Amino acid sequence: MSPRPPTMREKRRYLLARIDPAGAVPEQKDLYYAISEAVTTLWGDGVAAMVVPAVVALEDGHVVIRYRRGADRELMIALSTVTAVREMKIALRPIAISGTIASLRLRIKKSKPAVPKNADPGDPGESGEPGEVPEVTFAGKKFMALQCEGKKVNLIEKGFKNTNRLFLTSEDMEES
Amino acid sequence: MKITDACVCPYPIGDSSVKRFALEARELGFDSIVAVDAPSGGFEGTEIIGGVFIRDRTAREVINHVKKARDKGGVISVLAGDNGFNRAVIGVKGVHILRGIHTADKKAFDHVTAKMAADNGVAVDLDLSPLIAGRSIPRQRAIHRYQDILMFAGRFGFPVTISSCARSVLEMRSVREITGLCTLLGMDEPDVEHALNGIGRVMEPHYSAVRVIE
Repeated sequence: MSPRPPTMREKRRYLLARIDPAGAVPEQKDLYYAISEAVTTLWGDGVAAMVVPAVVALEDGHVVIRYRRGADRELMIALSTVTAVREMKIALRPIAISGTIASLRLRIKKSKPAVPKNADPGDPGESGEPGEVPEVTFAGKKFMALQCEGKKVNLIEKGFKNTNRLFLTSEDMEES
Repeated sequence: MKITDACVCPYPIGDSSVKRFALEARELGFDSIVAVDAPSGGFEGTEIIGGVFIRDRTAREVINHVKKARDKGGVISVLAGDNGFNRAVIGVKGVHILRGIHTADKKAFDHVTAKMAADNGVAVDLDLSPLIAGRSIPRQRAIHRYQDILMFAGRFGFPVTISSCARSVLEMRSVREITGLCTLLGMDEPDVEHALNGIGRVMEPHYSAVRVIE
C-alpha cells in the first residue's frame, strides 16, 4: 500500500513537557496510559478520539506527545490533571509546541538538565566507581539527597521502598 | 496586580518546604503564595503570606480562633460547613476566606450568604485540587458548585480566590494551566487574573458596600 500524499495526511503537532520530579523516569507505555486516561476522563471518548494523544519520545526527563493539530487547549488542560503514573507521583510541565520532533529535541538540549547529576547511585562515573549519593538525616529519618538545578534539593527516604520524597532547598538543609 | 496561589500546605502537612514552594511558585508565574501555618516573609523574590486555616470547629470556636489569629496577621480562612455556619462565619470580623465550598452541602451557599460575603468583603475560594486530582462524579460536582459560586460572584460582587491547596510542589500548577482549568468553569482570562489577585482584595482595608457621605 502506498503512503498517503502529504496533503492528505492528518495534521499533527508535538508537545514537549518536562517530567517532575527530576530523576523520575516512568515507562513510556505507562505514561501514555496516564495521559490517555486523563484526556478521556476529562473530555470523554469523543474528544479523546479527536485529540489522539501518543507518547512518541521519552528522553532526558522530558516527554514528547503527539496529537492532532487544533487540540492544543484540550491536551494542555488534560495534561494538568495527570498526577501519577502507576504509583509514582509526577507532574507534567508543558514547555513548547512544535510541528516537528527535531525542533523539540533541540529544546531539550538547550534546556537545563532535568535529571540531577547524582540521580542514579548505581551509575558508574568516569572513574568506574559507582556514583555516590550523599546521605542526610532529616527529621530523624535517613534520606538520599539529590541536588537539582539551582537551590532545589530532593530527598528520597532510605528504606525497603524508596517512594517517600521530600522537596526542600539547600537553605532548608543548612538550617536542619 | 499580584498573582497569588491562595493556599499551599508546606511541610510538615505536605512533603515540600515553604521555601521550595516559593521557588516553584516563581517558576510557575506566581508573585506570592499563602502558606498555611508558616510565617510571612519572602524567598527568592516570591512573597510568602502566612495563613491560618480553621477547620472542623463550631461557629463559637471559630470566633475564638479568629480573635487569636487576627493579631498575628496573615490570611485567615475557614472551612465551609452548612448554611447557618457559613452565614455565622462570614459575619465574623477578621475572616478573609471561606474554603472548601465544594465539600459543603448543596444549599450551604445561597444568595443570602453571597450578599453577606459581598458586604463583609469575605472571599470564596475555588480549590482546584478536585479538578486536578479528582475524577468522574467528585470532579463534576466541584465544577458544578464552582459555576454556581461564580454566578453569585458576578451578581453580588464578593471576591473570589483560586488555590491549588498543594501539599507537594508536584500538585502546583502554572498560571497558564490554571487559566486553562478555569475555562472549565466558564471563566475567561481576565476573570482568572482577577481571581488570582483576590488575596490582594481581601487583605486591603475593607469598605462596606454602602458608605454614608455627610
